[in-house]
Amino acid sequence: MSDILLTTTVGSFGKPEYLQKARNARARGKLSETELFELERRATTEWIRAQEEIGLDILVDGEMYRGDMVAYFAERLEGYTIGGLVRSYGNRYYHKPVISGKISRPKPMTVEWFQFAQSLTERPVKGMLTGPYTMLDWSYLESYRTRRDAALALAEVVRQEAEDLQAAGARYIQIDEPAIHARPEEIGIAIEAMGIVTQNLVAKTVSHICYGNFAAIYPQVLDLPVDRLSLAMANYGYRWLDLFARHPYTRELEIGIVDVHSHELESVEEAAEGIRKGLRYVTPEKLLPHPDCGLKTRPVDESIAKCRVVVEAARLVRAELAVVA
Amino acid sequence: MIRTTVIGAWPKVSGGPTGQQLRTALHRHDRGEIDDDTLDDVFDATTRAAIGEMAVAGIDVLNDGQIRWDDLFAPFARSWSGVSRGPLERYYDNNTYFRQPVVAGPISSDGRTLVRDFETARGATYRELKAAVCGPLTFATLAVDEHYRSLERLTLAVADALAVEIAALGAAGAELVDVEDPALVAAAQHVDLAREAYLRIAAAGVPIAVQTYFFPADRVLESLASFPVAQIGIDLRSRGTTALRRLDAVKDRTIVLGVVDARNTRLETPGEVAGLIEEALKLVPADRLRVAPTAGLEYLPHDVAVKKLDALVAGAGAVEGGKPSARAGASA
Repeated sequence: MSDILLTTTVGSFGKPEYLQKARNARARGKLSETELFELERRATTEWIRAQEEIGLDILVDGEMYRGDMVAYFAERLEGYTIGGLVRSYGNRYYHKPVISGKISRPKPMTVEWFQFAQSLTERPVKGMLTGPYTMLDWSYLESYRTRRDAALALAEVVRQEAEDLQAAGARYIQIDEPAIHARPEEIGIAIEAMGIVTQNLVAKTVSHICYGNFAAIYPQVLDLPVDRLSLAMANYGYRWLDLFARHPYTRELEIGIVDVHSHELESVEEAAEGIRKGLRYVTPEKLLPHPDCGLKTRPVDESIAKCRVVVEAARLVRAELAVVA
Repeated sequence: MIRTTVIGAWPKVSGGPTGQQLRTALHRHDRGEIDDDTLDDVFDATTRAAIGEMAVAGIDVLNDGQIRWDDLFAPFARSWSGVSRGPLERYYDNNTYFRQPVVAGPISSDGRTLVRDFETARGATYRELKAAVCGPLTFATLAVDEHYRSLERLTLAVADALAVEIAALGAAGAELVDVEDPALVAAAQHVDLAREAYLRIAAAGVPIAVQTYFFPADRVLESLASFPVAQIGIDLRSRGTTALRRLDAVKDRTIVLGVVDARNTRLETPGEVAGLIEEALKLVPADRLRVAPTAGLEYLPHDVAVKKLDALVAGAGAVEGGKPSARAGASA
């Protein structure tokens, strides 16, 4: 693995058709938990093989066993109940979780999946968690007096999970905060909560942020206690980079160089240009190209094609840098 | 004495045996299994059911539940020329999404966007019924402007189109129209531009209720006092606010106080609701006060939305001196 412009992804991949069908069958009670589990392991194995074949440097388990990024954890924590259906847009609905009691973690929630995925490859696999502020913001809140109290309680259980992932061998732990700009006036709460999560970690920590007004929280977000931010950029025409010209960016950066909500495939040159833009502000050792966001909404073949563009763009720019050096 | 009302959209689906009819019908329509007329029948039935539920809860001034609206802009972006529906974006601090209106040419409207829905709703209840449109500033600040290239020109163009809609709703019998404009409090720096827009909207000659929500109205209270509107809606629950102690800033207008949180499942007690009303009554006479959820109840699961209305009505009833107004003798 070359040590500049390491490539990675944001976490989720599209579920293969057999797994989609199996999940539906399970929801209707027509498939056992064990049968579903076996198919989730099969899909995870396929995605690890695919990531190796594509040539990605830092892998993920692909989240074949997760639906929603908040509900997955809410279903496994004490103090949460799963609420009724709420519309997210159009004719799409989800069960929005309710923080209804005292939050605690009966047992690890992702560690076995991390261990399984890591056992399949020599390359590092990231541990993948949802951050405390996003867990709070995407849930109803009934049982804590303030949003800060709830965020700090959630931070404690995310800390336990992160430390268990580290103990299981995770060298990279990603703690996503896509809701961090929902209420810019609460950025201090998000920072305080993340401080609890990462206080004892020596693993490299990353936080993914997307789909919102990043300008409203910059540069304060640089105080988020993680080593790297992971940002959607292609979808925004790289306009967040302009902020770095005004106030220097001080972290490592995982940079989104292909749009995950478009069927259209970017050219390698187009994606490479995104990397070059990032290099104006971040050194190649600290810049990691990836797709803008999780790929779970894309079919498997599109996910693979998008990742391939990322890897080839990184190779192209690495070669350019080698010539210059 | 204290009248109750609602704002915005009602939850379109529920957990009951018939609660998923609209969701199923939309899926079937997407697959081409049912035609437009059949889907319309389901929309109308869902609208009537929503109105019935609000009436049974004891709400005094109803709306149609906005059952056909995908988001605040969808009806207008679908029917106005010059506008189309663009990419999905997160809607303020909600984990829900809207399609950004894309303005590619001059905006114009035939004014028929909501008339059919209003007439359907009118036929479903004898109670007071109000209509609703999106706010001009909210539309303009959240749209992709490829034509006017100016927030001011776009806001005023939207206002002109809304005036046409509101005039047509007035002709169809609407005596009050909510203008839902959270940008007034989310982007308060544009309040003077918004006032100009509301002058154009008021030219339609139908009484207007400007509804602000999600953010405190603290910064714009005095400015709102000079808006040409009959009613002003204020969210007391989403964030900390001093508005409750400064309601005398908007003299002569009816205040619509958002006293139950439309975005959190925690249920207010009737005592809590009554306490807020009693506080408001120190500054506003009872005949100029209405109480409502803070925003559309579609941010909540259906069963919780119903309970929120019950808390609202019970709280208002407690202020009246304990008269049990909820559910007793209600009719749709």
